[in-house]
Amino acid sequence: MINSFKLLFLGCCLAIFATTACQLEDIPDPNGPSLDPILQDASIGELQNLVTGTESLLRQEIGFYYDVTSIVGRDYWYFTGSDPRYTGELLGKDNAVLDNAGFYGTRPYAGRYRTIKNANILIEAVTNTSAALSDADRKGYLGFAKTMQAYELHLALNLQGQNGIRVDVSDPDNLGPFLSYDDALAAIKALLDEAADDLDAAGSSFVFSLSEGFAGFDTPATFRQFNRALAARIAMYQGNKAEVNKDLGESFMDMAGDFYTGPYRPFSTAGGEATNPVYRVPDQPEGIIAHPSFVAAVQANMNDDRNNKIALRPSGTLALDDLAGDYDVVVYNSLDAPIHYIRNEELILLSAEAQIGVDNNAAVDAINVIRTGHGLDPYAGDMTDEALIDEVLNQRQLSLFAEGHRWVDMRRYGRLDQLPIDRPNDDVWSEFPRPVSEVGN
Amino acid sequence: MRYFFTQASLIVLVVLLSAGTMLAQFTVSGKVTDTNGQPLVSVSIAVKGTAIGTITDVDGKYSISIPGNSAVLEFFYVGYVSQQIPVSPDTKTLDVVMEEEAVQLDAVVVSGLASNVKRSNLANAVAYIPSKEISGIAVPATTDAALYGKFKGATITANSGAPGGGIGINLRGITSISGSSQPLIIVDGVYMDNSSIPAGLNIVSKAAGGGSQSNQDNPSNRLADLDPSDIESIEVLKGASTAAIYGSRASGGVIIITTKKGKAGKTRVHFSQSVGQAKILNPLGVREFTEDKVLNSSRFAGDIDLFREARDNGQLHNYEDLLYGNKGLLLNTRLSLNGGTDKTQFFLGFSNKNEEGIVENTGYKKTSVRLNLNHQIAKWLKLQTTTNYIHSSADRGFFNNDNSGTTMGISFSATPSWAQLLPDENGNYPDNPYAPSNFLETAAKVTNNEAVDRILAGGTLTANLYQTDRTALNFIVRGGIDNYTLATTAIFPNTVQFQRNGNGLNGVSVQGVTRNLNTNLAAFLVLSNYLESGMSFRTQLGVTRESFNLNNILGTAWDMNGTQTNLDQSGSRDISQFRLLQEDQGFFVQEEVNYKDMVLLTLGMRGDRSTNNGDVNKLYYYPKAALAINLHEMGNWPEMLSQTKLRVAYGQSGNFARFGSKYTSFSGTIVSGSPGIQISSLLGNSTVGPERQKELEMGFDLGLMDNHILLDFTYYIKNVDDLLLNADVPTSSGFTSKVTNAAALQNKGMEIGLSANIIRTEDVNWNARVGYWTNDAKVTRLDVPAFTTGGFADFLGQFLVKEGYSPTTIIGVGPADYDANGDGIPDTVSVTEGVNRIIFGDAEPDFQMSFYNDFQYKDFTFTFLLHWKKGGYNINLSTLLFDLNETTHDYDDTTLDPDGQLTNGDYRLSLLGVNTQPYIEDASYLALREIGAYYTLPKNAFGGVARVKVGVSGNNLIKLFKYNSYDPEVSNFGSNGLSRGVEVLPFPSSKRLDFHLSVDF
Repeated sequence: MINSFKLLFLGCCLAIFATTACQLEDIPDPNGPSLDPILQDASIGELQNLVTGTESLLRQEIGFYYDVTSIVGRDYWYFTGSDPRYTGELLGKDNAVLDNAGFYGTRPYAGRYRTIKNANILIEAVTNTSAALSDADRKGYLGFAKTMQAYELHLALNLQGQNGIRVDVSDPDNLGPFLSYDDALAAIKALLDEAADDLDAAGSSFVFSLSEGFAGFDTPATFRQFNRALAARIAMYQGNKAEVNKDLGESFMDMAGDFYTGPYRPFSTAGGEATNPVYRVPDQPEGIIAHPSFVAAVQANMNDDRNNKIALRPSGTLALDDLAGDYDVVVYNSLDAPIHYIRNEELILLSAEAQIGVDNNAAVDAINVIRTGHGLDPYAGDMTDEALIDEVLNQRQLSLFAEGHRWVDMRRYGRLDQLPIDRPNDDVWSEFPRPVSEVGN
Repeated sequence: MRYFFTQASLIVLVVLLSAGTMLAQFTVSGKVTDTNGQPLVSVSIAVKGTAIGTITDVDGKYSISIPGNSAVLEFFYVGYVSQQIPVSPDTKTLDVVMEEEAVQLDAVVVSGLASNVKRSNLANAVAYIPSKEISGIAVPATTDAALYGKFKGATITANSGAPGGGIGINLRGITSISGSSQPLIIVDGVYMDNSSIPAGLNIVSKAAGGGSQSNQDNPSNRLADLDPSDIESIEVLKGASTAAIYGSRASGGVIIITTKKGKAGKTRVHFSQSVGQAKILNPLGVREFTEDKVLNSSRFAGDIDLFREARDNGQLHNYEDLLYGNKGLLLNTRLSLNGGTDKTQFFLGFSNKNEEGIVENTGYKKTSVRLNLNHQIAKWLKLQTTTNYIHSSADRGFFNNDNSGTTMGISFSATPSWAQLLPDENGNYPDNPYAPSNFLETAAKVTNNEAVDRILAGGTLTANLYQTDRTALNFIVRGGIDNYTLATTAIFPNTVQFQRNGNGLNGVSVQGVTRNLNTNLAAFLVLSNYLESGMSFRTQLGVTRESFNLNNILGTAWDMNGTQTNLDQSGSRDISQFRLLQEDQGFFVQEEVNYKDMVLLTLGMRGDRSTNNGDVNKLYYYPKAALAINLHEMGNWPEMLSQTKLRVAYGQSGNFARFGSKYTSFSGTIVSGSPGIQISSLLGNSTVGPERQKELEMGFDLGLMDNHILLDFTYYIKNVDDLLLNADVPTSSGFTSKVTNAAALQNKGMEIGLSANIIRTEDVNWNARVGYWTNDAKVTRLDVPAFTTGGFADFLGQFLVKEGYSPTTIIGVGPADYDANGDGIPDTVSVTEGVNRIIFGDAEPDFQMSFYNDFQYKDFTFTFLLHWKKGGYNINLSTLLFDLNETTHDYDDTTLDPDGQLTNGDYRLSLLGVNTQPYIEDASYLALREIGAYYTLPKNAFGGVARVKVGVSGNNLIKLFKYNSYDPEVSNFGSNGLSRGVEVLPFPSSKRLDFHLSVDF
């Protein structure tokens, strides 16, 4: 029988039913800002966050880039018990071939495009924002974003070689076509030129700030010098020597300057920062070991101060997988050592290279800046184009050791077959396979 | 929602309008006892076909008023054979003796969110595990470990042997590709969180730095916290046909745990103590070096003098023994009190566990206190509450994959026997010249602890709003919370090899705090109607609401001051946070129709919405239907055939996208002290919805000779559609994956059980049970290109996801004409155009069997459980790492090379990168999971005051397998997704032996 208690109770029950029937509120991502609001109307603070985030992404997965280009280019080996691929697939041991899903090819590639995406978001946000920005202010952001995109595209192209790369990647649902190697270089050069024009129109200062890595390159005018340095590198790869000379002229190249002048990725062991991924503690049971071909090249003259890029292992030879070496690579000497995007020494070498066949004396002058700068005698060899090319490549091997150039240089000159192999069935790869995610997607 | 109200008002109407009609009635009373003459308390007594019922009191007595002139009384008590006895007004007194049942056929199992049904009337193959089999045979290390081999249809795999557990449970196959296939766990109505939360070891292990981007921290999962001794029973809903009532969370199945409740009567006190020992399950041995072997080794040739010196000084060490040789002391104490009055009953359980691992300084400690209270507030109003506090602490060592050579397993694999790693007399450990870590030092100095403080509390209020002879209306409100704080502490002091002298980071302290709060609230109306025709109806409708709130803060400090571990005693610090917020709402309606226990039909529907979906207010509906026909209740069947039931059931359930799938967001970063935002690599899907599973299950149950022999057979087809994939996108888009509902898979399988009460005399009782089950899975649709996943790289073995293939297919590289079974058909498969791989096996077992035996002679009991897993492959990268370091225990054997030329180590290495076959191994095993022998001392041994039982038990005392490592049950990547069975130098499994003493007052 129903009593009033039960009726009251029933009333409460229905109340519970009713309260649970209300609408759910959407919950915004509790862990980070969402993309759409930033694309639609970013604040100046958020634009600054995007600039800094782009700089941060330039450091991401970059260790893989330097390791794999240095391993394939026989600058160094990476001996580790944790992954056999460093001495297997990357060196083409026996029948091993590069895997299009292998992290060594996919991660540095994906890392570059993530930077490009962040910069594209910056470009779109700058275009859409209602923040109080002048046209010149906006051009400043664009000049920065496009220059860094061009830089990253070029690294991706270095990995992919004749496979070519996509350049237009602004819409994830509608990606542009793969461009051939030559077309991609042209597109990168055009992007740099466009960025240079933006920087020309960007007034006297940026409204955003850059990290210490861009100290001295943090105004539209000085940042443009960095942009032109990159343009010179691309022009050299295109074989357009006149253009190299023109771009170098507008760059920060300084024949009398410090070889290490140039903007760089800052690393730090402080909290939340990235540490230098190429640095390894020397004299450990695992490590990056200088390739004997580099050891021989640099030890050809013990006065060459570039001998300080390697260090004899106090604990002796390190061997793995039928490879053995005695010298650790110490190009980067700590977890907070910076890694340059491009530096004066390369510009001088580009200048030398661009003069070969144009003005060989000027080429030798530039070569001698490098040679004497490192404690060597001035160049005394043949003055033929061929001899000078050999010499420039030799100096580039020594000066830009472990900075991702050797492999690409030898490829540019069709000399990959001159890179030494260490075991009878090893291979020198000419490029990394197109990543699996790009195949069929 | 309006629909509810219509229904609800209807019910109210029924309540108000129905008038109880008074008929002739009579009263029957009596006493219910067990075979020993002890009164049974709280036995349910019901008048068949009506809503009338009562229960026995503390003295086992009852009295019941029965309408009409004749009726059948049903006596029902969990664990006892139920009885049906006709009564008439002449009966007056009816004393009943109930017999303990051999097989748990009469147990009640869940049939709706607020209702139970007798197992014999159930239309589904719901597994039921009674207390006796959970903690009654041997000491389970954790609750999840107590489930192995105990029911059909599951693949349960430990991730490693690390103390504190870590187990993956797949019910009827894998049900998701990128989401979780793990079941939902409900403890007394409380949604229990079963997360695995990493401790942040990656800063040292760098495991996410190379081929894999997952942390591989090997955390335990939080079901481990629950004390197995508290559990009365576990029900397992294996697929959508039963789990539909749990909607969007039930795709992986549901494990419903019911804890022990108080029973009225004098207070019963139970005390037990066990003492045991754990040791490594399967030591592999180490490579025995000789001068020749050292000289022929490319890695060690230069160390020949070191070898000779160590050999001549008798200093060749078996490091496996030194690292894994600890004989762990296992102590378990249990105290429980149970009693109460007619109105209030209580159960108080206390457990204390202190177990050492097989590696120095590892172990598991747990203290659990439980108070379960039942109180009858008024005749029509009953309250049940459960409260459980748990403190646990697991020291798990430093294991699994790394990219820094520092974990104990990896550095051990790199170390030959002549290395000198033992500490000097001052306790200083020398550097290990063969690896970045002296693992003996690491074991001695490194901490990796998970400590949990947890409260699980729930309450159920049942109100009998209306009751007549033929109609009952109950209102049930149920709520619960699961609140825990997990503190993870990982300390790598700056005195260990890989942190001192500029190696590494000069000491690391990683401390994480995770606070989790799950709450759930549900309300139901249940209307039961018994018609004179023998037809009965039960209607229920309800609403549910769940909320989930997890907040994980991880502080990482390095460059530590001296021996300090406080985060602020450091040169550098980093912090990260992860929050999970989710609100779900659902409703549930169900109609059960029972015609004289002959035909049982159930129809139901659940609707769910969640903030986890792209559209938060979109309702997703999950229907279900089930039919059981008890043929033995109809007509005349041969005496022999005591039960013949045919059953068929269909249902749907869902599985949420991983939290965050609908967002495209930025992560935070810092450059030179300035904050920045970087786009995440996951492209979110703003319209994401749950995966949907549809299961059809059919089978029969056969009982022979008074149900002394029972046979059950079940066949199921489970289709999972709209599978969520973190599909790879071209990385040139800047993203690496995006969440899409882009695949479907199918699981088909069979479960057969046979149980028999072989001997039953006064002195001897022998029960045996055999289970057989098998599952076949296939990807039936894939809208993205086929891909490989779950491992490190194809040449190291990965899982293939491709239409027409099992989602657990293991592939690797190999010669194009590779043909393992010699059938002339090469085992190659094309992943994508131009990418051909070899199929080496499938992680899914061919079948599994379990064999349970329970033998009782007078006061002796002897029980054991055998579990056989046939087939199923693992990717054994432990052997690879040993091989690369030339330290494998079987390196010098010549059992593998078909030409008989190369040693096993050389042979495997010669195929590295060319043929993955040597590292993909059959992981079959036959395990003696549990064995226990107990003797209960005669009643009068202690003047009749106490009953004392002594015994001995073992876990995994015997485990037979050919698999070339510590244990074929292993998972480097934890419990989730498609990466189970990948092994990278885990914490080795152990076996255990315990001695027991228990006293009951």
